[in-house]
Amino acid sequence: MTAKGLYIYCVAKGDREEPLDLCGIEGTSLWTLTDQGLVAIVQECEPKPFASADQKVFANWLLIHQNIVDLAWERYETIIPFGFDTVILPTNGNSARQNLNAWLEKESAEVKRKLEYLKNKAEYGVQVLWDPNVILSRIREQDAEIQQSEKETRSKPAGVAYLLQRKLEKLIRQRLETAADANFKTFYQRIRECVENIHIEKVRKEDPPKQMILNVSCLQNKEEITALGAVLEKIGQMPGFDVRFTGPWPPYSFVTAGG
Amino acid sequence: MKIEIDDKDLKHGLLGLVLAIIEVIRDTLRIQSLKRMEGGHLTEDQIDRLGLALMELDKVIETIKEEQGVSEAVRSVRDGLDDLVDGMIGKLVDPH
Repeated sequence: MTAKGLYIYCVAKGDREEPLDLCGIEGTSLWTLTDQGLVAIVQECEPKPFASADQKVFANWLLIHQNIVDLAWERYETIIPFGFDTVILPTNGNSARQNLNAWLEKESAEVKRKLEYLKNKAEYGVQVLWDPNVILSRIREQDAEIQQSEKETRSKPAGVAYLLQRKLEKLIRQRLETAADANFKTFYQRIRECVENIHIEKVRKEDPPKQMILNVSCLQNKEEITALGAVLEKIGQMPGFDVRFTGPWPPYSFVTAGG
Repeated sequence: MKIEIDDKDLKHGLLGLVLAIIEVIRDTLRIQSLKRMEGGHLTEDQIDRLGLALMELDKVIETIKEEQGVSEAVRSVRDGLDDLVDGMIGKLVDPH
């Protein structure tokens, strides 16, 4: 029989080893494992990460993982969440449990320091979207080159007008890119000033016509988000801009846990 | 690295792929034509002919897409290609 792996959900301060009234991935029972004044929420699994070709199965597992981490966050208040599918393997004659204990012993000071740092803090997601058509009409009002280009197009034969139209599109794209860049820098700066820590994430595709121009994860004290809220409200009031503000989440993006 | 060709029929999917590639070539032709026009060495007549030829190409592409019902498939392939290129550039800029 192959030695088992340990799937780990998160680590928190604590000293009780006990089964939890929750089911983990694939219905396996969870329990807390303790060492050095820390607890890890774990379940047994095969000595490899969970894998499935079926997107739905994968998505469901991810949901279960997030649910358990959320519940742990409520229960233990401050946790270091592990990313989905982190499995401690048995190695070199050591069981997974022994390896986890060894890791906790080695890292306990650092883990405790991190837990202290994360106390009362949560992760918040901020996304700023814009409608390029709205932004463009404002740009156009003040852009002589665009107005000139539009005028030129109107008075030319069809083939010439077509190419001038393409040229105009290119010009407009450049103006929008410059505007997006400038807005990103401004918003980022304003948001940065109200939060403890910030990570830039990739922007995602939105349903047209909207485009995402800023996507960040922020770490901030749960009791001190008024300043951030005020900044985001102001941004949302600018014509053509929308803000998506999500959270509080467990601070996934702000831990580099998992050895 | 998955290009999603969103439909049931292989022939349909293949046509979508082919048209997507034709559109990319068409876009390149547009860029080149603009460069020539901006280069200042073409007469207005030549520019007009260039523009009209590209307009014709646009019409043909749109007609085929509509008649064969592959507009969605083409969009899907192009989005997939965009993501692919985006990903590659991302890796080159920052290997981590």
